Parts: sequence; C-alpha cells; structure tokens
Amino acid sequence: MTNYFYVSPEQLIRDRAEFAQKGIARGRSIIAAIYDKGVVMVAENPSASLNKISEVYDRIAFAGVGKYNEFDRLREAGIRWADGTGFTYSRGDVDARALANYYAQHLGDMFTEGQKPLEVEILVAQLGNLVRPTKLYRVAYEGTIADEPRFAVLGGDAETIKTRFAASEDTLEPLNTTLKNAVSALAGPDRTIEVADLEVGVLEDRGDRRTFLRLSDEQVSELLR
Amino acid sequence: MGLPLFSAHDDPGPSFFHYAETTGLSVAPLGVGASSPHATTVIAVRYNQGVVMVGDRQATGNYIASRDVRKIEPADRFTALAISGTAARGMEFIRMAQLSFEHYEKMTDTALSLEGKANYLSPIIQLNNLSTPLMVLPLLAGWDTSHKVGRIFEYDGAGGCYERFDFATIGSGSPFAASTLRLGYSADIELEGALDLGALAIYEAGDNDPSTGGPDFVRNIYPMMVTVSSEGFVELSNDDVANRFRVINERRTQSGGVAGGSLR
Repeated sequence: MTNYFYVSPEQLIRDRAEFAQKGIARGRSIIAAIYDKGVVMVAENPSASLNKISEVYDRIAFAGVGKYNEFDRLREAGIRWADGTGFTYSRGDVDARALANYYAQHLGDMFTEGQKPLEVEILVAQLGNLVRPTKLYRVAYEGTIADEPRFAVLGGDAETIKTRFAASEDTLEPLNTTLKNAVSALAGPDRTIEVADLEVGVLEDRGDRRTFLRLSDEQVSELLR
Repeated sequence: MGLPLFSAHDDPGPSFFHYAETTGLSVAPLGVGASSPHATTVIAVRYNQGVVMVGDRQATGNYIASRDVRKIEPADRFTALAISGTAARGMEFIRMAQLSFEHYEKMTDTALSLEGKANYLSPIIQLNNLSTPLMVLPLLAGWDTSHKVGRIFEYDGAGGCYERFDFATIGSGSPFAASTLRLGYSADIELEGALDLGALAIYEAGDNDPSTGGPDFVRNIYPMMVTVSSEGFVELSNDDVANRFRVINERRTQSGGVAGGSLR
C-alpha cells in the first residue's frame, strides 16, 4: 500500500516557485526597452547560435530566459500561432497581447498541473502602429503576465538590473543611448560584457513589412561607441 | 486557436505547409471542382546577372474576369513566384509559399536555399493537382545568394521540378511565348535584351492566345515585368513597361501586324 502524505497547497506552490526560480536564476538576464523609434532587446548570451531573442511576426518579437529547450519550444509555438493566425485572418489581426495571454495560460497550467513548472520567463514585445500600441508583456514562470511601461528585465538578477536601468532617463532616447544603458545595467558596476557575448535584436520601422532586425557584432560595437 | 505546442516526436518542424496540414488550417483539396477564372502566360528568362520575368494580367473564365491580376509575386526578397491555372488555387498557393519561406526563416534563423524552396513546392503541387481538376502550375525564379547566379525552376502537373538554364514559360500562351524566346535567346543575353525579348514573348502570346491579355493601352494596364538579381526583386514601373510595349506595338503597326521576317 502506498502512503500519501498531506502537503498543504501553500507549501506545494512555494516549493514549485522555488524550484522554478532556481532554474531561471542559473541563466543570464535579458533587458528589453522602448526607445524613440522602437524596441530593443539585449541578452547576455555567449552562444552565437542558440538564440534567446527571436522574430515572431511583422511587429512582434520574443525573448526568453531559463532553460533553453523549454523557452525555445514556446518560441516555436509563438511563431506557429502568429503565422497560422495571419494565414486564417489577416496580418493585421496578429496581436501580441493574445499571444502573451496564451503563454500565460500555458505557463500557469504547467505550474499548477504539470509534472514540474517550466523554468522560464518570457517576453513578448510589440512595435506599435496606428491601431496598436508599443508594448512589452512579461510572462513569469507561474503564468503572471505584466504589461511593462518602459522596460522589462527577465532572469534571476532582475531586481538589481531593474534598479540600475531605472536610474537612466525617463524619456524615450535614441537607440545608441538606450542600448548603452541596457548593457551597463546588465553588466553592473564591476564588470564589462564583451560585444561577442551580447545578443541584440530590435523592432523598428524601416519601410518593410517585417520590422525585426538582429544586430551584428559590428553594428552593436558601432552603437556602443 | 490555442498555443500550438507539439511533443518532439510529432513536431511538424519548420515547414508551415506540414503544420497547416496537421492542424487543419488549410483545407485539403476535394475531388470535385467548379470552373473558375484561369489562364495565363508568364515567362522567365535567365540573363547574365539574374532573371527577368514577364506575365500578362488577364484572368479568363467564360468572359474576361479581371484585367489587372498580378501573377508574379515576390516569395521573399530574392525569389519570384508566378502562377498559371486556376486563379483561386494559385493565389492560395502563392500565399502558402510566401508564408512558408518566411516561417522557415523565423523558426530556424536561416533562410532556405533557392533549391530548397524549389523542392519544397513539389509535393504541394502534386497534392493539389492529383486530387482536384483545379490545376495550378507555378514558375519559380530567383537569385541564388550562395552561388551568385539567377536560377529558374519549372514544374510539371505531377509536381516534378526541373531547373531551366535558359528560359521557361507557363500558361495557355506558352507555345507562342516559348517560340519567341527560342528564336531570340542567346546564352550571353544581357538585362536590356532579356527585358525586350520577354516583353515580345508576352506580346506574341497576347496576340495569339485568347486567354492571355496583351498590353491594354486604353486602360493603361500592361503586363508585369520584374527582375530578380543581387539587388533582389524589383518590379519595373508602369511607365517603363508601357514604353516597351508601345515600341513593339508601333513596329507591328508599321509592318501591318506581321513580325516582318525577323524577331521584332
């Protein structure tokens, strides 16, 4: 006969949260910020091919921290959802909020019902146009969704980085200034991050339908100069 | 539609067509079909720096259904895709191809090779054409960014994909367009020569095939002309195209409607 021990729901949630937080804290952080012409996402990522930042749709981008296999599957699902929705209705009907909500529901379900909670935190960024606003939606491991007004930080060290970045100007600044602030907030006062260890993506209108652009090391060095 | 998550063993991978099929997004073709507007002539000519494509603008049913159809579309920056056959299926085919190439690029963070794109379309054509009378035949042409050369791929009704190193034609006006190209083509043809030859081929097709539209000077609608080169997909302006067809038309008027013994 198997013995079942009583575990209070409070204890269960606490254990699961602690487990997820530990997993997320192992990886490096990401910062996403709105600048005067778009959205910039900066990740500290020593790998040049295992990306944390990705294009999802014409005006939507994805960023994830934590376990790579878990957030990459969510990234793929997001691209499929966006392409499928645009195919069924129209490109203009693909909305970041809807996608962020699906992510929140899935993460929430996995947190309470899954074998283990997903050890990820993700961000869905949307570049605004005439009908939609520029938005940063942060979705945490347990499914809470936050609509961040100016910038968002994902990852274990989020609070410290957040305080550092919040010290910068409150107004929207050009890309180079915002990128500099983001990189120094990620690095902190005691160290510098090599350009090769940075992964940077932007959403910005350049006259094309697709607005996502992954910046090369040269472009990043140029902007940080 | 919820979040499309798959486990590793039934994941459709970066193919949008496969994904759309597994989730029922695209409707599988049925064995019965209604007749709908069709017919076309589109040609592609390879020149030393890329590919030229010219296509007529007419959709024909029992009468002329539309005079300004765009039968050549950019599938992505370096690839042009043209369609002939049933208009409705053709438009859906272009949409599926465009989306698929972009989907692959986003999923894998690398663009498909031109040959990869050409092969990808084969089973889609096969599935459509062998299961419905609503035939669609595409023509794929583009700039191969890894080999720095323009390439043309044509298909047969069963989905077979063949690379052509000179020129290719699709649609009901093909015999006339192909004859013109065969007589005028040379292996070292340059951009201007390819544009003029392509325009003449479509002019011939429009002149002889009832389902292909020629230049429409009354409505100011002309065949579509595009180039795909290292600079990507570029569509010629309406004025530029109008001038080219006006020149041909003028020559033909002076010779009383005959080509005049030479290719002109």
